[in-house]
Amino acid sequence: MDLSETLRISVRSLRSHRLRAALTVIGIVIGIAAVVTFATFGASLKADVVSEIEGSSANEVYLVASEADEGGGFGGAGQPVFTEYDLSQLRALEGVQRVVPRGIVPVSAVAHDNETIAQRQVTATNATAFETATFESGRAFENGANEAVVNRPAARLFPGNLTTGDELTVTRSSGEQFAVTVVGVVNGTGGQLPFSSFTDQPRVFVPADPYYQSVVESPNAVSNQRVYSQVTVVTDPADTTATQQRVREYFASPRSDAAQLVPDGYEVAARTNADLVDSIERIVTRLTRFVTGIAVIALIVGAVGIANIMLVSVTERTREIGIMKAVGARSRDVMALFLSEAVLLGALGALIGVPLGIAGGWVATRYAEIPLELAPGWFAAAVTVGVLTGVVAGLYPAWRAARVDPIDALRYE
Amino acid sequence: MINLRAPPGTGVTDATDTETTDAGPSAGAGPTPADDEPVVDLADVTKTYDGAVAVEALSNVSLSLVPGSYTAIMGPSGSGKSTLLNLVGGLDTPTEGTVRIDGQDIAALSDAERARARGRTVGFVFQTFNLMPRLTAVENVALPLVFQGVDRGERRERAADLLSRVGLGDRLDHRPSELSGGQRQRVAIARALAADPALLLADEPTGNVDTETGAQIMDLFAELHAAGNTILLVTHERRIAEHAERIVHFRDGVIEDVEDL
Repeated sequence: MDLSETLRISVRSLRSHRLRAALTVIGIVIGIAAVVTFATFGASLKADVVSEIEGSSANEVYLVASEADEGGGFGGAGQPVFTEYDLSQLRALEGVQRVVPRGIVPVSAVAHDNETIAQRQVTATNATAFETATFESGRAFENGANEAVVNRPAARLFPGNLTTGDELTVTRSSGEQFAVTVVGVVNGTGGQLPFSSFTDQPRVFVPADPYYQSVVESPNAVSNQRVYSQVTVVTDPADTTATQQRVREYFASPRSDAAQLVPDGYEVAARTNADLVDSIERIVTRLTRFVTGIAVIALIVGAVGIANIMLVSVTERTREIGIMKAVGARSRDVMALFLSEAVLLGALGALIGVPLGIAGGWVATRYAEIPLELAPGWFAAAVTVGVLTGVVAGLYPAWRAARVDPIDALRYE
Repeated sequence: MINLRAPPGTGVTDATDTETTDAGPSAGAGPTPADDEPVVDLADVTKTYDGAVAVEALSNVSLSLVPGSYTAIMGPSGSGKSTLLNLVGGLDTPTEGTVRIDGQDIAALSDAERARARGRTVGFVFQTFNLMPRLTAVENVALPLVFQGVDRGERRERAADLLSRVGLGDRLDHRPSELSGGQRQRVAIARALAADPALLLADEPTGNVDTETGAQIMDLFAELHAAGNTILLVTHERRIAEHAERIVHFRDGVIEDVEDL
């Protein structure tokens, strides 16, 4: 008996139990759809995060002192360990183009005219933080001057928007006040944090000199110096990897202040965008696998459903098996018939489950407001798994069917 | 290889279209072996069923069916009729002795080979019809050909032809549940003939139909015999057994008597 004949007979026998077949298939559909939904959502999430990061420059190395075991120590959580001494040493390294420190100046409010906006912090940095292309208007502040640069979200906080020449009064959390003149409005900045969405928050930049007041005694320079929690090293684009290595070596040696200032259990991490993309991809992939693994349980339940219904079917059709054997069916013909029924159930479940899962993934991405990214590899895998589920679930029932003794079966009522 | 021979004129009535309807490996026009080679040959066959107590269902039974013969097996239940039927039908193998069907020792075949040989060589007719409930009449008749690898169009043609010969030409696409008992048994007989087997094996073929229908079924067997088919009929009713040329009486696993009619 050839394959097409086997399939034809199997289809017929499934069609004669439509409801039963449909209910069995639903089990597989749910399993496959769940797997595909989570896989699609995971792929979408990853693509979204990665595209966010890749929007930033590739030739930047982010320095942060974070807990040693923490996979991603980026954001604002670093310890202030990078001294002015370190910055000057970094500037001298081969392949380093700019070194942009960032420190946090704790404030309580920022005021313009009679409008006071509550604000927790302004960012202290230096003039090299800004790339010319990012200016909507004006210029970078000058180090040591009473000037400020705001980003567009910050400018919008004030009625009529801030423009160059506007006067800002900043109130430190200590209550002390200082006045700065807005000299530039930027739309994003060079040397900023890797996530472009972070720069969508309102930010006011002031020169570290004179406004940043966190100081520490530099172990190497033996003098009080400003100390920063985050530093971005802009490298020669052709030499990013090697420069990153040199930066790491510098911080691994006691020549650096940071190496001596860093608390126990913390370490200086020097990461590029590529590193961040890698680690985020790892996290998202791990998460996707975990959730998809849970969905696989649904698939296993579906497989048990197939096995169950096939066993019932073998019992019900014992007599038919006997008839087939009496008229010349070999055991393997009978086995093929039952196995192909199980496989058809699994494949049908997969074929319905994949589009349903894509739809589920689409709904999830709508909900999470990220663009849909399909994972075709997973679809192929889902169909394969559906078929394999059918095979595995059908194997034992089919074997039972094949072993039916025609003599007993023909007597079976 | 089992020599598949078609008795001259397999059909019920006229054999004019045998050549066109004969299907697949059972070449209907093939040479007929010498008449002295039996279709079924049992030599000193013993069949013992193991269990808590070993039961000897057949003891040293020897029996031959020559081509074109019509034999009835009679005996009370437990006399070994069913065991004999299973052996002759190639469903079972003997404990001792040899069973040759169409010249082939069935014990020498693998399970798969035996299944194939069964499909080609033996046509079963059962007391309870044993039709596939979800298949139509024509599909039921064509079923043995499915396992012989005959293609669909040819199968349907042959099955339809056989059904019209047993008087069911207008019931091709009816399911068994839509047919009367007599009609079902005629479908079963047509199915038994589908692969053009060397032997028709009927187990109480009238057991589940009324007397009048039973008589029609027996007439059909008479026609099949007249057309040259070799028939082995198992029954416990003498009235039915008398349709055959000879009656073999079984009792307690041995042949008690052979009665020529």
